Amino acid sequence: MIVTKKHLPRRTFLRGLAGTAVALPLLDSMIPALTAQTKTAAKPQFRAAFIYTPHGVILDQWVPKTTGTDYEMTPILKPIESFRNRFIILSNLAENKAKQAGSGHASSSATWLSAAVTKDTQGEDVQAGTTIDQMIARKIGQDTPIPSLELGIEDVSNMIGICDATSSCAYLNTMSWSTPTTPLPAEINPKVVFERMFGDGSSAAKRFERLQDDRSLLDDITGSARDLQKNLSAQDKTRITDYLDNLREIERRIAQVEKRNTDQQLSVPNAPIDIPETYEDHVGLMFDLQVVAFQADITRVSTFMMSRELNNRTYPYIGVPEQHHSISHHQYDPPKMAQHQKINTYHVQLYSKFLTKMQETKDGDGSLLDHSMVLYGSGMGDGNVHSHDPISVLLGGGAIGQIKGGRHIQNPKGTSMGNLLLPMLEMAGIQQDKIGDSTGKISLS
Amino acid sequence: MRLAGTLLLAATGLFGQTAPPAQTALVNQYCITCHSEKLKTAGVDLENRDYSHVAEDAEVWEKVVRKLRAGEMPPVGLPRPGKASIDKLATWLENTLDTSAVTNPNPGRTMIHRLNRTEYANAIKDVLNLDVDASELLPPDDSADGFDNIAQMLTISPALLERYLSASAKVTRFAIGDPDVGVVVSTYRPRPDLSQDTHIEGTPVGTLGGMAVTHYFPLDGEYQFEPRLSQSILGMIHGLEDRHAMEITLDGVRVKLLNFGGNDGIVKAIPESMAYANQLHAQLVFRIPVKAGPHTLAVSFLRQSSAQTAEIWQQYQRTAIDANETKGFPHLDKVIVSGPFDPHGPGDTPARRRIFTCRPVPGKDELPCARTILSNLARRAYRRPVNDKDMERLLTFYQRGRNKGGFEQGIEMGIRRIISGPEFVFRVENDPANVAPNTPYRISDLELASRLSFFLWSTVPDETLFNLAAQGKLKDPTVLEQQVRRMLSDPKADALVTNFAAQWLQLRNLRGMVPDPDVFPDFDENLRLALVKETELLFDSVIKEDRSVADLLTANYTFVNERLARHYGIRGIYGDQFRRVAITDDARKGLLGQGSILTLTSVGTRTSPVARGKWILINLLGTPPPPPPPNVPALKEDSAAKAQSMRDRMTVHRANPFCATCHKVMDPIGFSLENYDGVGRWRLKDGDAKIDASDTMFDGTKVDGAVGLRNFLLARREVFIQTMTEKLLMYAVGRPMDYRDMPAVRKILREASKNDYKFSSILMGIVQSPQFQMRMKQADVVQSASAKQSLDQMRRPEQ
Repeated sequence: MIVTKKHLPRRTFLRGLAGTAVALPLLDSMIPALTAQTKTAAKPQFRAAFIYTPHGVILDQWVPKTTGTDYEMTPILKPIESFRNRFIILSNLAENKAKQAGSGHASSSATWLSAAVTKDTQGEDVQAGTTIDQMIARKIGQDTPIPSLELGIEDVSNMIGICDATSSCAYLNTMSWSTPTTPLPAEINPKVVFERMFGDGSSAAKRFERLQDDRSLLDDITGSARDLQKNLSAQDKTRITDYLDNLREIERRIAQVEKRNTDQQLSVPNAPIDIPETYEDHVGLMFDLQVVAFQADITRVSTFMMSRELNNRTYPYIGVPEQHHSISHHQYDPPKMAQHQKINTYHVQLYSKFLTKMQETKDGDGSLLDHSMVLYGSGMGDGNVHSHDPISVLLGGGAIGQIKGGRHIQNPKGTSMGNLLLPMLEMAGIQQDKIGDSTGKISLS
Repeated sequence: MRLAGTLLLAATGLFGQTAPPAQTALVNQYCITCHSEKLKTAGVDLENRDYSHVAEDAEVWEKVVRKLRAGEMPPVGLPRPGKASIDKLATWLENTLDTSAVTNPNPGRTMIHRLNRTEYANAIKDVLNLDVDASELLPPDDSADGFDNIAQMLTISPALLERYLSASAKVTRFAIGDPDVGVVVSTYRPRPDLSQDTHIEGTPVGTLGGMAVTHYFPLDGEYQFEPRLSQSILGMIHGLEDRHAMEITLDGVRVKLLNFGGNDGIVKAIPESMAYANQLHAQLVFRIPVKAGPHTLAVSFLRQSSAQTAEIWQQYQRTAIDANETKGFPHLDKVIVSGPFDPHGPGDTPARRRIFTCRPVPGKDELPCARTILSNLARRAYRRPVNDKDMERLLTFYQRGRNKGGFEQGIEMGIRRIISGPEFVFRVENDPANVAPNTPYRISDLELASRLSFFLWSTVPDETLFNLAAQGKLKDPTVLEQQVRRMLSDPKADALVTNFAAQWLQLRNLRGMVPDPDVFPDFDENLRLALVKETELLFDSVIKEDRSVADLLTANYTFVNERLARHYGIRGIYGDQFRRVAITDDARKGLLGQGSILTLTSVGTRTSPVARGKWILINLLGTPPPPPPPNVPALKEDSAAKAQSMRDRMTVHRANPFCATCHKVMDPIGFSLENYDGVGRWRLKDGDAKIDASDTMFDGTKVDGAVGLRNFLLARREVFIQTMTEKLLMYAVGRPMDYRDMPAVRKILREASKNDYKFSSILMGIVQSPQFQMRMKQADVVQSASAKQSLDQMRRPEQ
């Protein structure tokens, strides 16, 4: 039997996603498929992950005093100290265009990965720029069942209208734009994400049983489609041939999902029932799902908003009963700045668990972390004044030998974030000279 | 072809029309200046045509007829013959073409046709008596010419097949009441721009806001309800400053009353809005036992007093316009229903009653009972009698399920096979073997029954229709007509309104329209729903009262509820049920005065005369404009531009002759409606500029305002009626119309004109047409040049 490996048109996935944007009852199992992997030591698969935190950081506790390799680890970054050689600190970046829209919150996250400018509107005619995660997904993600994962923690998709002064709520919901006018909704429910990856059923045994049922149905359906085809005219025959081809394709996928469910090497988390109670569990689960998705090659690109701009979450369990947005407007009062800093540090601590898992997960001859490019940071710097200049981010992972960590690169004042996005695209194999308001390319070698 | 030629010559004598030389002279004088062999303007060459073989050039001549009847050719500004001459030429051409069609009917051929998702859901409802939400289960379908039931667009993809598989599992689990259904979590959300300071349809009288939905509870058991209140962008719950009571009802009976808000709440909430919200929401969660089956769940807020109002704070109709606002009424953000917890049995649901028409003695007569159940369901689902091979397949799956978990599991598995297979999902019409290729043949009675029920009801045939067809009685024209009338008066004929009319008039576009809240702050979901309902009710009245289709243009009545009445400025209408009102303002009569159409042909911040012109050309006149050239810059939206009237801003359309060819057709139509703003309200000024709604139409007629436009359309009402008929015929047979269908369309109209173009006459004409009752057998040879060409031609819609 010739296995025809079909390249799925992107839009069939988007339609599948459209049905899962809201937490549904029994959800669609978008049964993914492993493609023929050429995972040899010589050719590992590139992954990209982008992780965002809102409201900026206390910059002088984040950015080291000195540049180069000998910098002293700062308090906020202490939790990832042991990963020192696996990331580069980049400072003095700027989202130059972000301050032009609304109060500056929505545009922070909306332009972080595009260096574009958001259109001032409260209506449906939102416009920003295509983000680099989507550009990368188009290049390396078309073979995977899910070209890219967009994840979030808070959901404001129920708000249409004015959210951030003159900016539409649509800008706050996601950091991923597949075209300048198409924001991609972020999924906040790990159950939805899980079912998309592994199929329907609360235990591996149940899922297996359901997959068996699916297989026997497909088999029989194929038989009756063939019978049907015999009596049809030429034109109609072609449509049924199409149908038969597609049946074969999902039979193949089901076989792969079966394999994935029984693969001893994969540590599939238990199927989540719903959104976890605590913030820490929710974030942890989303990180875990990204790791498994990379490991099983279900996707190679993910964006994750650990928290969105303009949220008022409190963190009493780390000693911050004040609301995040409010405390980010600390008015330079030292005790308040210290509280804001606690949140910054806590987020880095959660991030360190992701790095640990990525490091510990084998991938070919190395680890997932070796073969990934991971960006972490915020679109704001000094959150008190909604400043997007300067901002600082961490570029981590190995990116298959392309990222040399353990350094602090300080850029000339006002360097566009776009100047970092371009070399990041290059690492993924995309040559481009300009993005958004970029003025050049930061040298990362 | 020679035979046809002889008939033609005879026919011209028969009709006493002008002999060919006069027609040639007319065309040569007025048309071939542009449409010459050399210039071939718009790809049309009318020079040196053979007028004795018009039918052989039908494609070109049908284009000519269309343009002549619409009055679009010759274009204004160039020499034109009088209307009488134009009509004479068009009539002569039509008669010639129609005569040829009588001897060589071409009913066309719709290819194998899969169910779209609306039809899928309706079919599940009719077979299993289970309501399902098609948009949850299946991806959206592609459409052509605005309709989502066109066979060649209903393609197959891996994503779709996966969904059929998973949908069949979910549907059957619910239908049977499978104990293994697990915990199902459903989230229901009112649209964020729904104003909740008023009664919402479906909720108990005496309450405000919230929502009412039908939720399916899969098993008898305990269910959890989690209502959540709307919060501002910073996490503050709306409306906390007063004490409120949220009522939850099932099938109209109160199951819970939850109190919240007041001074207590607000004091705690202000310093820690998100934490307080989480705490409050945790208190609103509750669990109660519920019986399996569909139940109406309503969540709304008790109206405390008639004086209760937040109008002092609320300047606009729309209550939740500003995500930073926290004052005013509480709003329901969503309600999450999960369960069953601690289930105890499938209960007694409508679906189970439909499925289990027999109950076997365990271990004794299970197989015969299974056979009975599955063959009944399959017959309905497959739209044909079930044969031995079908039963063999179904019983294999029955056994599989039976071996795993008993009789009911077996039935579940069997049903799953029924609804996931090609027999259910495809509408198959088989060419008879004894018919020559490229010859038309009558389709079978069962195939006719299917076409009829999908046309009028968007679902599978019912028992009555099926039995008549199975007995071969549907061929009888009297029986057929009786069935059509019966089906039209059945509630399922609402599908003609919600599927045909809503797509023809593009009403579904309103769902995605969000007029800019800065410019139209009063526009809310309540209005959006009401606008759609108004137009649907208008169309429905034409069907139910069997009115002339032309009444759609002239109707001196419409349907409003309180919200819509307020929008139009009609006084004295209270309550959210719709009622008929007389229209006193001449400008408002008919489709052109419907807020729905006026809104969906606007853009977020303003009207779009071009969009309105285009909409009328496509949907009412059947003459769509060609697509715009690439790289047309957007209209300037700066303040200088906004100070001008829309007309002035679009002068460049007229000034540039390259643009003018199309825009002098579209723009004047749109300008005549400029008194209606971007959400359909009457206005005399656009900003500071006074509105001038007069213009010159493409045939030279001077038109002033909406009334003038309506009269312009009425002067060519046959064009309007033909356009609607073409679209209805396309909807009925599931393929675009082309020039070969025009003789049949004209025949339908000739007959219907004797009855003042009443809707039922047009409908009957369609059902009696060769298009509906026959099919062209295809040439056997795959991809032969001529066969491929005819396929492509069939796919390309007129123009």
